Amino acid sequence: MSLDFWIGVGVMAGIYGIFTLGLQLNAGFTGILNFGQAGFMAIGAYTVGLLVTGPGWSLWAALPAGVLLAVIAGVLVGLPSLRLRSDYFAIATIAFAEIVRYTLQNAEFSGGNQGLLGFDEEWRAVVGWMLARLAYFKLENRTQLPLLIVVWCVFIVLLTGLAALQKTPWGRVLKAIREDEDAAASLGKNVLSYKLQSLGIAAALAAIAGFFLALNVTYLYPTVFDPTFTFLGYAALVLGGLASYWGVALGSVLFWALIEGTRFIELGLNGGQQAALRFIIVGLFLIGLSMLRPQGLLGNRAEMVARS
Amino acid sequence: MSDAILSVEGVSKTFGGLRAVELARFTVNAGSITALIGPNGAGKTTLFDLISGLTKPDQGAIRLQGRRIDGLQPHTIAQLGLARTFQLTRVFAGLDVLDNMLLANPKQPREHLIGLLARAREGHDAERTARARALELLQVFGLEDKAHDYAGNLSGGQRKLLEAARILMTEPKIVLLDEPMAGVNPTLGHRLLNHIETLRRERGITFLFVEHDMDVVMRRADRVIVMAQGSVIADGTPDAVRADPRVIDAYLGGTGA
Repeated sequence: MSLDFWIGVGVMAGIYGIFTLGLQLNAGFTGILNFGQAGFMAIGAYTVGLLVTGPGWSLWAALPAGVLLAVIAGVLVGLPSLRLRSDYFAIATIAFAEIVRYTLQNAEFSGGNQGLLGFDEEWRAVVGWMLARLAYFKLENRTQLPLLIVVWCVFIVLLTGLAALQKTPWGRVLKAIREDEDAAASLGKNVLSYKLQSLGIAAALAAIAGFFLALNVTYLYPTVFDPTFTFLGYAALVLGGLASYWGVALGSVLFWALIEGTRFIELGLNGGQQAALRFIIVGLFLIGLSMLRPQGLLGNRAEMVARS
Repeated sequence: MSDAILSVEGVSKTFGGLRAVELARFTVNAGSITALIGPNGAGKTTLFDLISGLTKPDQGAIRLQGRRIDGLQPHTIAQLGLARTFQLTRVFAGLDVLDNMLLANPKQPREHLIGLLARAREGHDAERTARARALELLQVFGLEDKAHDYAGNLSGGQRKLLEAARILMTEPKIVLLDEPMAGVNPTLGHRLLNHIETLRRERGITFLFVEHDMDVVMRRADRVIVMAQGSVIADGTPDAVRADPRVIDAYLGGTGA
């Protein structure tokens, strides 16, 4: 197996990691089931792509614009739907993500199913610069390595930042809302406001993940952002364990190692069967884990028992 | 009635076809310990939900220190100084006992994203003060050894006590307690009641509580409000209420006067 292949897997694990940090903040720490994360990701990625290819913005100026738009979308989606019971909220967010995807698929401005190309020139310049430095280690031919480094640096910075945030009184309020929102309200906490903040941050994380995904695939098309993306993020979340940010890192790596590693199982199957087998194996792994270690790899068992 | 801290003015609430509360009308005097009693289904808990903003009345008005609070959000009412406990305890199971307490600290710095980083020093100081106050309260209720246990691992009685301690942490003006003694070991229960009397005496906090133990009601309350089938049927001193034929009737299963 080539190193390039595993560098590519590492890039996807990092992008999923950033994406899943948002799910952890929502589902793990606030108790809101956000199933629309792929929609926020699409908004972030497409905003960047459109601003660069259209009005000719710099890629680096387009990134914060994409993040901001995703946050605004998060607040707009959350305002009416976060008042719903959590399962109805989950459904509403899937609907939102699908609206985003179908719009991108059918609108003219987004290029429809043809997708969007040619927004990553500035990034390729950075890659060139980094590869020239990596030549020192004889790594100048590993063209995916710069993205791997940048994605994982950003991922670790975001992860440690969120973990620190969770230790503040702000993080404590989120957890209390997860436990019992009526009780939190009766202690004077504005539950809707905290849920909106949680969702807004998750949307920002999705937009950043979308930015890197766009750089990774080099062209944007709507089917990348179907709800499966969110569900796979949840699979990584459950693997790593709820209410643990480091669990997100471990879960993403393990998930992608499983998905991609199982590519090499030789059973003489055809392409479609082989692809299905990979997901079957991941599914069996998840079932096994839920029996042996229901809190996930890095989840807190004592907390889980206390909550049940 | 100038010293009324809470007034309930002709409040009604219907769920489907059921009239849970019908034209309830009473006031609670500032600094009093008032008991709210009545048979099961009389509407006591619904009334608590209406006062604390969890449900909105169909008609009538509720005032806290003269200010209308019906229609306000629960967290706004809580911030105005009205705190409540729940009949079925609502502790934050996945948080430890101390965090349950700290969460109730009013105006806790660094609970808002804006200024979270800038106010780190102030936050640490406030947290230390709050922690000392929380541990003091936990000691009153015999929970100090449990400070670092998950609240979800407490017994039912201990949860009741934690809820009571947590509510006092909010520095409320008026406290609504829904069956504070239910399931609590009698020794600790009486400690809770003694503490309530101390708080009323020293800080002028008002208490309104629902209780089924008539002995407790008659000995501890200044005033007793009796509800039956959604309406207030009697309101007066413990002795007056005890002698009221409508009350005896309601408790013996009659249909009222």
